[in-house]
Amino acid sequence: MFDPDTDLVKRTGQGDRAAAQALMARHLPKMLTLARRMLGGQAEAEDAVQDAFMKLWTHAARWEPGKAKFETWLYRVTMNKCYDRLRKRPGASLDEAAEVADPTPAADSVLETSELGSAIEAALQALPERQRAAILLCHHQEMGNIEAAEVLGISVEALESLLARGRRALRARLGHLKE
Amino acid sequence: MEQDEMWADALLRDLPSEPAGPALQARILADFDRTAGRRAGGVAGWMARMRDAVWPGVPLWRPAGALAFALALGVLTGIYLPLEETAEQTTAIALDEAPSFDLGDAS
Repeated sequence: MFDPDTDLVKRTGQGDRAAAQALMARHLPKMLTLARRMLGGQAEAEDAVQDAFMKLWTHAARWEPGKAKFETWLYRVTMNKCYDRLRKRPGASLDEAAEVADPTPAADSVLETSELGSAIEAALQALPERQRAAILLCHHQEMGNIEAAEVLGISVEALESLLARGRRALRARLGHLKE
Repeated sequence: MEQDEMWADALLRDLPSEPAGPALQARILADFDRTAGRRAGGVAGWMARMRDAVWPGVPLWRPAGALAFALALGVLTGIYLPLEETAEQTTAIALDEAPSFDLGDAS
């Protein structure tokens, strides 16, 4: 399995600052976007991504090439940091998330906001965390199902189920806005 | 099902990415410097480990500055503050002194 990050991770583990900087430049924007959409707030997303990089810096020296694709591992760490923060929110839990009432505004008021981006944001935030993660990884980060399932630590079948439910929920909320 | 997939692709593909600000990049690289410093061998590594043990998460100049300030304060205090002799110290000095009488002059 070819992993374009192997050399950079190895050099980062040896204390090479330029390699660390290159790794950061390559992955930070995508990680930040993912965290931002998972958590809904910029400051919290930045903290989660910083935590994920901290884990990378401490683990780079022990990285074993060929065991897993680096990017998949990094996304998984980022996702776990996001889950940690979501769990710490008062009254939130991943299991309960599916039962939480829909906080998105009604269709009429969404139309009134006029901005498609905000409506999509709101609809994404209303999804249960795991559905949101699956949707973001596959449709926004353009990851394949196998890799996305690895990131989330679930089977491909479970991922497809999350995707199907997530897409249905998004379409129910936003179908009138973008057909 | 496939329609839903294409619809979601079209919907989310164009969402803007989040630009990473220079402050965040600086924070992340500062974390790297600290971690790499702790791992390094030799004097630099030892100093980084000491710094993290004494005052975690700050640049090296802060604990070094605090130590230098404490040293300077101690030295100046020693130089400029007169030492007051206590009764206990006077007794100790008297006991340490050689006896002033001469044994050969007993008559």
